[in-house]
Amino acid sequence: MGGSVSKIMGKIFGTKEMRILMLGLDAAGKTTILYKLKLTNQDVTTIPTVGFNVESVTYKNVKFNVWDVGGQDKIRPLWRHYYSGTQGLIFVVDSSDTARMEEARSELHKIINDREMKDALLLVFANKQDVQGHMSPEDVTQALQLNKLKDKLWYVAPSVATEGTGIFEGLAWLSNNVKTQPQK
Amino acid sequence: MSISLPYRSADDAGNGLPRLSPAPSLLHHRTPSSSRTSLRQPSIANVPATAALFPKPRRCKSQYPRDSSERHVEYILVASFHIDRGPIMEHQYPTAISGDESMLAELMLPDQTHVRSQDWTIFFLHKDTSADADDDTSVSSKKQKKKKKGKRRAADDAQSGRGDSREDDESMEGDSSDDEEEGGEGPPLMYVLNLVNTKQDNTVKRGAVVKAMAICTRHSFLHIYKPLLLLALEDYFKNPYPETLATLYNAVNSMDLSLMPRLSLLERQILQASNCKDMFIEKFEQMIHQRSIEDGAPPDDEDDPPSPKRQAPVQYTLPRDTHEFESKVVYNEIPIPVKIPTVIWPETVGDFSLIKLIQTFSAPHNTSPQAFPVHPHLTTSGPFTHPIIVLVNAMLTQKRVIFLGHNRPSGEVAEAVLAACAIASGGVLRGFTRHAFPYTDLTKIDDLLKVPGFIAGVTNPTFANHPEWWDLLCDLPTGRMKISSYVEPAPVTEGLLYFQQQASLHHYPSSSNTDPSGDNVFMEEIQRSITNRYGENAIRAKWRAYIMKFTQVAAAFEEMVYGASNLFIIGPNEELSPESPSGVQADPLDPTTLRGHGYVWSDEGAKQRELLASVSRIEGWRTTRSYYSFIQDIAAMYYPARPILKPDLHHHHSRLRALRLSAADSGAIYIAFAHAVKDYAGICQLLTITPENQAGLFYLSMGLFHPYPPVREATVDLLERIAAHPAGRHFWAQLNRFAKLAFFRIKRDRDASAQSPAGLGTGSFGPRSLVGVAMGDTA
Repeated sequence: MGGSVSKIMGKIFGTKEMRILMLGLDAAGKTTILYKLKLTNQDVTTIPTVGFNVESVTYKNVKFNVWDVGGQDKIRPLWRHYYSGTQGLIFVVDSSDTARMEEARSELHKIINDREMKDALLLVFANKQDVQGHMSPEDVTQALQLNKLKDKLWYVAPSVATEGTGIFEGLAWLSNNVKTQPQK
Repeated sequence: MSISLPYRSADDAGNGLPRLSPAPSLLHHRTPSSSRTSLRQPSIANVPATAALFPKPRRCKSQYPRDSSERHVEYILVASFHIDRGPIMEHQYPTAISGDESMLAELMLPDQTHVRSQDWTIFFLHKDTSADADDDTSVSSKKQKKKKKGKRRAADDAQSGRGDSREDDESMEGDSSDDEEEGGEGPPLMYVLNLVNTKQDNTVKRGAVVKAMAICTRHSFLHIYKPLLLLALEDYFKNPYPETLATLYNAVNSMDLSLMPRLSLLERQILQASNCKDMFIEKFEQMIHQRSIEDGAPPDDEDDPPSPKRQAPVQYTLPRDTHEFESKVVYNEIPIPVKIPTVIWPETVGDFSLIKLIQTFSAPHNTSPQAFPVHPHLTTSGPFTHPIIVLVNAMLTQKRVIFLGHNRPSGEVAEAVLAACAIASGGVLRGFTRHAFPYTDLTKIDDLLKVPGFIAGVTNPTFANHPEWWDLLCDLPTGRMKISSYVEPAPVTEGLLYFQQQASLHHYPSSSNTDPSGDNVFMEEIQRSITNRYGENAIRAKWRAYIMKFTQVAAAFEEMVYGASNLFIIGPNEELSPESPSGVQADPLDPTTLRGHGYVWSDEGAKQRELLASVSRIEGWRTTRSYYSFIQDIAAMYYPARPILKPDLHHHHSRLRALRLSAADSGAIYIAFAHAVKDYAGICQLLTITPENQAGLFYLSMGLFHPYPPVREATVDLLERIAAHPAGRHFWAQLNRFAKLAFFRIKRDRDASAQSPAGLGTGSFGPRSLVGVAMGDTA
């Protein structure tokens, strides 16, 4: 689709590259988002990620190298190894999993308080907006205590990963804001 | 008078070197199916002579005795990926393996397992042999273990009634040398072969089941268990209970390898370097013979009524190729054939391909070479050093090496790591597999970084983003290597300064030679051999020779810079001065006291150039684990590997090959060899330096054309002894017809002159009946 157009644009204007790290609790929908980005308009069925996935996606003149890392609590300590050189963090939250929202908040703050992540943009996908009893993006913002963050560019995008809703909007926010960031 | 190959007991401290062809009684009882029987006919015809070679027929020992308490496989493990908890261990059989269970489970479920239905991994555990102890590698526990092992062996020997005291001694010595070979730095490694399957299943939460089953063994030939793991893991998906593990455990441990003979160090070298499919077949025959006696079937009364015990007389068959031993594992009543290598070099683990490794990193280099940042240890031929040479240099100088295979099965990175270990070791150097992590992931990174100089295989590309973790990154998908900007600079050393000084004094024309180390030529030759479809074995042999040469060059370097070398034990009657001319007899009465040792260069300039080119990596190697364990090995292997202490056979044979010697000089070598090489072990040693791929006995046979008659006759004596030797006869058979004709002509002339009263028996040996033997072989 737009991929081939942006490739040509890239040739004219030069393509930016952006390293994105996508994290979140297990079963939040990270891998689904990744493959919805990669394979637009296709149905995506995923199984638990053992380790990680990484794909590059070109969107709006920016080549995103997106890392999707498994979310089981035992393997979360490994996330830090992916921090260095990361320009954008996508944090995926299952908006219907209210019981684990506090756990998600604590993990998110651990990540963005890391020295190596201090310059990274933060995009939160309030995912699974189609599931009954989900929290709104505003509620998610509250629950994750994003308003407490200082010196941080952040944005919460509502999404339904399985249908592809909201995902490219989130990516557009990243590509618009990466331009203001110094390239590393 | 008959030819004598005296049995040597003092010097063959190894694993019982002198074992000649089977005893006469066995010869009648040979399996008639063997088509090679006719080939060996000569030795049968020569029974009186061979009988004289056996002052005492010796028992052939098994590499894997039936009564050994060591099991082929020690543990079977099953792990799975739990959707909430990540990797977990499900079952362990027969008991829980000690150590960090969750770490094991993580290793068993490699990164990105979810994107492929099947994956193999290999990893190593540093675990003590005592089943109850923890991962305790302290010195005391190691000593205890050794003591225990020694006691047990002695008890075994007593039980089976081999009360021969020398045998006992020998078995102890054999054991200790085995221990050395396995590492000497701690208990032998536990090798783990792991199979992981991902099955899509819509009936379970999140749509898939990921399970892995692993076999833990101390045998480095773990790849033979692959078909069994495939069957057993399939069964486990159906029956996820410990019983499934038990079935596999019992099946693999009932595998019978007891008929595989144990070979001495020299014999192993000969077998490995040879393509003969029946090299040392005599030992396999002897094993079968011994077994049929043990089974209570006295070989001579075949018409004995079958006792109930031997209702179905077991048919023991000889191997089709003595390089492998064929056996089978019966799993769920399915017999699965397995082939176990007879000779396993240290640092050779599993099933890998040097050819594949070399091709992976050669192709991109050949089409579009990329310049490396220069590092004295690594880029020994400048920025465009061949990547494989960079890799070997990195391993020799104990750098941190990572193989990265993003989107590749983890089995593929593991294979690359194992191949790299083999390439750097050449079966000569040690200490690589012990610090290898054929497959590892981010969870172990903190532990990995504590290891000085490791070789690790990973599939996670995030390793590429952390150049502070490695010195050399080998990317398998692109076939490119990268030297880290974090690599420690090479220190300036005494040797380096010495050579810089020398170079400025002498002005060796180094600039005229673009390849002073010879590595470019070597890599071209390797690639040509691969293109010409030489087998894996041939390539491994070439690398072995390369590493051997490296150690010899390093020894010459040490002698030159430091006045003496740790890497070589100087033979008796030789003073340390490297300047003492080669080939001079220290003791004029003893022809074997030829001076000279080590590597042979065509001239002094060539030596200086090559040493200058290698000085950095040699100095880099001199502080590493593999250097220190090599020094230990030299001491430990001194007698087993060198029954002939003087002269230095390798050195003088190289002189015959590489130099244009005067008739007097070459004559002295042939005479010295004929005097020194007389018994079984000595001939074995000689054969290890005349492998098939290096022209075999050709250079020795040139002594048949020497201008001095005594030299020609001494060469005849030597070749005659080699032809009667169980391994030597294969080398003799491969010798060209021209040399053989000369051999028989000289013999005939001598026999004629011995019969005439005027003739003097110049040779130290009388006429013998071997002519017929050799004739039989050539006919």
